[in-house]
Amino acid sequence: MAGFANAIYSTFIRKNTVLLTTAFAGAFAFELAFDITSNKVWDSWNQGRQWKDIKHRYMVKEEEDDE
Amino acid sequence: MTGPVIPIASESSGSNFNFRLHPPSILTSLSPQLAAQFPPWSIALTMSLSSASSTLLRTVARQQLPTSRAAVTSCQQRRGVADAKSSFESPFASANERGSTLKIPNFSKYKSNNSPRSNQVFSYFMAGSLGLATAVGAKATVQDFLVNMSASADVLAQAKVEISLGAIPEGKNVIIKWRGKPVFIRHRTQGEIDEAREAKWEGLRDPQPDEDRVQRPEWLVMLGVCTHLGCVPIGEAGDYGGWFCPCHGSHYDISGRIRRGPAPLNLEVPAYSFPEDETLVIG
Repeated sequence: MAGFANAIYSTFIRKNTVLLTTAFAGAFAFELAFDITSNKVWDSWNQGRQWKDIKHRYMVKEEEDDE
Repeated sequence: MTGPVIPIASESSGSNFNFRLHPPSILTSLSPQLAAQFPPWSIALTMSLSSASSTLLRTVARQQLPTSRAAVTSCQQRRGVADAKSSFESPFASANERGSTLKIPNFSKYKSNNSPRSNQVFSYFMAGSLGLATAVGAKATVQDFLVNMSASADVLAQAKVEISLGAIPEGKNVIIKWRGKPVFIRHRTQGEIDEAREAKWEGLRDPQPDEDRVQRPEWLVMLGVCTHLGCVPIGEAGDYGGWFCPCHGSHYDISGRIRRGPAPLNLEVPAYSFPEDETLVIG
């Protein structure tokens, strides 16, 4: 456990620049993951109610009318 | 409420302290037991006493003054005796007394069993995680404000104009209205294209090749606003076969470039695209 802590310390914490860089990179990754996950949850919660779910019912007909 | 500062020896607490108190706290000099019962902040409450009662207090205090002076004298004498013995008596209570606040508690129950390094790593991890969360929150806040400021989808959709190009014969101008401004669309003939391409554009006032001004050479799309003072030029006129502004006599060529007259710049080209072969979308 102490060796693990030492490794973490010397890798990420010893230099403040590294700690800051890690924090910002982590923020980027976290935001990406958070957005994707919340979008998936939203889409599954509103399955069949969004425009992209019912678009094929209306857009196909229009194209047929054009042709 | 000004008056002499009265030194008071507090006998009840048993210590050798001289409290310097201000007149509102005369209450404590009247009754040391009362002073022991009430904390110092309650003295401030006496400030709100009615003026009649404070006058009374002042009178009483004046009569009591000799007594308190005597107390001070005796106190100073006692201190002199203590100095003669050359032993130090702490003015604070000793830690051995029962209920003393000077005893240092035993914190070993709360001491971490981990190594100091892992405690350090935990602290820095929490600090870094807070920084991460702050960065995400700040970015989301700023982004929401900026998105709020930009045009919404319905406004963007209204700001576009779609034109069917099949109705425009070769060699003809069409003027349409886009965002309140006229837009010239010219279906250029092959001869006009060659003329626009072969012109020496390097020496013009606003040098620009024809290739930079059109996406498809046969379709010239420009804002119909003279760059001089904003008049609408007349098509198929002027010395260069293009547009002529009647207000101050600016001549534009078949690519919309300024050739003669007061205008400083070429006619502006808006953002446009050809989503299909025969359709033009401006905006």
